[in-house]
Amino acid sequence: MNNNQIKNKRNIKRFIPTFMRKKTFAYSMLTVNILFITWVVVTETGLADELFLPGPLKIWQSFIEVSTEGYQGNTLFVHVFTSVNRILAAFIMACIVGIPMGVLMGASKIARALLNPLIEFYRPLPPLGLYTLLVMWLGIGEESKLALLFLAALPGLIIATIQAVQNIDPVYLRVAKGLGASKKTILFNVYLPAAGPTILAGMRISLGFTYTVLVAAEIVAASAGIGWMIWDAAKFLLSDVVIMGLIVLGLTGIGLDIFMRFIGRILMPWTRYLGP
Amino acid sequence: MKNILNKVSKTLFGSLSAMTLLMMTFPIEAFAKPKKITVGYLNLVNAQLVTKNLGLIQKEMPGVEVEHIKVGGGGDMLRAIAAKQVDFGGLGNPPTAIGVTRKLPIDGIMVLNMLDFVEAMVVRTDANIKSFKDLKGKTVAAPFGSTTHYLLLQALADEGIDPSSMTILDLRPNDIAAAWARGDLDAAWFWEPNLDKAVKRGGNIFMTSGIMEKRGYPTWDVGVVMKSFAKKYPEYVEKFVKAECAGIDFWINNPAKTAKIIAEELSLDLEDATRMMKGTEMVPCKKQLTSQYMGTSDDIGGFADTLVKTSKFLVSQKRLPKQLKRKDYEKFLDPSYLEKVVD
Repeated sequence: MNNNQIKNKRNIKRFIPTFMRKKTFAYSMLTVNILFITWVVVTETGLADELFLPGPLKIWQSFIEVSTEGYQGNTLFVHVFTSVNRILAAFIMACIVGIPMGVLMGASKIARALLNPLIEFYRPLPPLGLYTLLVMWLGIGEESKLALLFLAALPGLIIATIQAVQNIDPVYLRVAKGLGASKKTILFNVYLPAAGPTILAGMRISLGFTYTVLVAAEIVAASAGIGWMIWDAAKFLLSDVVIMGLIVLGLTGIGLDIFMRFIGRILMPWTRYLGP
Repeated sequence: MKNILNKVSKTLFGSLSAMTLLMMTFPIEAFAKPKKITVGYLNLVNAQLVTKNLGLIQKEMPGVEVEHIKVGGGGDMLRAIAAKQVDFGGLGNPPTAIGVTRKLPIDGIMVLNMLDFVEAMVVRTDANIKSFKDLKGKTVAAPFGSTTHYLLLQALADEGIDPSSMTILDLRPNDIAAAWARGDLDAAWFWEPNLDKAVKRGGNIFMTSGIMEKRGYPTWDVGVVMKSFAKKYPEYVEKFVKAECAGIDFWINNPAKTAKIIAEELSLDLEDATRMMKGTEMVPCKKQLTSQYMGTSDDIGGFADTLVKTSKFLVSQKRLPKQLKRKDYEKFLDPSYLEKVVD
C-alpha cells in the first residue's frame, strides 16, 4: 500500500461516524436485523393478526402518509416537534431547579434533611395518579403537561447530583480551601467540574425517564404530539400508526440522548467515555 | 427402562386419542360451562345497571363467577375487546363501526339502549352560544371515538362549519366534568351521570342526541359478545341476553325502583337519577327484532344502515382506512339469541 492509498482510505473513513467503525456496532446491527427479519416473516406468513401487528411495508406507508398528509390535522413533523418542545422545556426547567438543589443537598446535611421527605415521597408515585391532580389544579392546557414532565425529570436529577457531589474526593476540597479559594471558586472550579460527569449521566437517565411519561402527559386534552397521536390511533385501532409512532418515538429518544452526550463533550471535555 | 417408557407413552397416547374421539362424538357444547364470565359495561345510564344490581346474570348462570367491569367510554371498551379482557361488552355505533370494519372477533347480539337526552351538548351559559356557528374560536370537548364525538363532527359538517375553526379536545367524561368545573371549556358533548355536573355549574343544554336522531343520526349502544366465547358457550350467550332482557323489562315496568337502583349504582340523588333515566330509551327485547333495530336473522334491520352511515363518516374523517358493504355489517349483527329468548 503506498501513501496515496492509505490517504484515500483515511478520507473515506472520515465520512463514516466513529461509532459505526466499531466492532460492537456490527453486533448491534445484527440484533436489529434479526428483529426486523422476524417481523417480516411473522407478518408475511400470516402468523400475526394484521390488526395487531401490521407488516413493515404498512408501517412505512403510514409513515409516508402521516409525514406528507398528516394525522388529524398535523404532520408527523409537527407532532414530533410539539412533543420534543414539551420535553425539552420541562427538562431544562428541571435542570435549572434540580441541579442546584442537588448540589445544595449534597454539600449540606441540613438542606438534605429539609428537602428529602418531599422528594422521596412523590418520586415513586405513578405519573397518571399525579396527573389527575395536576389537571384539577393547573387545567387542561400546556401547564399540567409540562408540570407532569417536570416532576418526572426532577428526582433523577437531584439524586444523581447529590451522589456526584458526595463522591468528590475530599482532597480536592481541602487543597482548594488550603489555597484560599472562595466559596464561589470552590463551587464553580471544584464541585461542578468534579461532579459534572456523574451529573451528566444522571441527566441522561432523567431525560429517558421523562420520555417514558410523554404518552401519559399527552393523553388528556392534547390535539398534537407524538404521544397523543399514538393514544388517539389506538382508540381507532389504527395499529400501523401506533407502531409507526412508537418507532419514531424511540428514534427521537435516541436522537435526544446523542444530543445530550454531544453537549456533555462540549461542556466537559475532560470527561472521557461515559458508557453506552 | 426404555421398554417401560415406551409402554407408558403408548398407553398415554392411547387414552389421549380415545378421549379425543369421545369428545368428538359427543357434542362438547352440552357440557361446556365457563368458569367465569366478564361483563364490561359502559359508565352510563341504562338497564345494564339494573341487571348488575339485581344480579340477574348470576341468577341465570348458577355456579359461574360473574364479574362486572366498568369502562369509561367506547374507545376504552374497544381496546378492552381487542385485548380480549371481556367476554361481553357494550359499544356505541361509532366504536362498533370501527371494530367491525377492523375485523374484531365480536358479534352484536342485542340493543342495550337508544340514546336520547342522556347524551347532550352542554354550553357555558355566559359563553353566549346560540347556534353551532357560535362555537367558532371556542373550546369544545368530547370523548374521541364515542357517539358524541361522532354527532359533534356530523352536526358541524351538516352546518358547513370547519371543525378546525374551534379547539376540539379529547377528554373522558369525568375529565370533562373536572375541566368544566375549572372553567377550561366552553362546550362539551357527553353523557350522564357526568353531564349533570356540568349543567349544575353554569351550563345549559344546547343540543341532545335525541334531536340528532330525528335528524337522521340515531345513536345507540349494542351488546356484543366475543366470537370465541359465543362459539364455545352459545347457551350462555342466550342466558346473558335473557338476563339483560329481564333488566330492560324491569326498567320499563318499575320506573320508581329502577331510579332507586340507578341512584345507588352511580351515587346520585333520586331526583337526578329519575331525570337521567328518561333520557335513555330502552327497547323491549321483542321490539328489538323489528326492522328499526336489530331485525331478524333473515332480514337484518336498521342498525346495519346506521353502521354503514357511521363508517362512511369515519372514513371521511380518516379514522377508518376503508368501508365495508352492508352485508358485512349484517354479518356482525346476530339476532338469533334474541329470537330464542323472545320465543
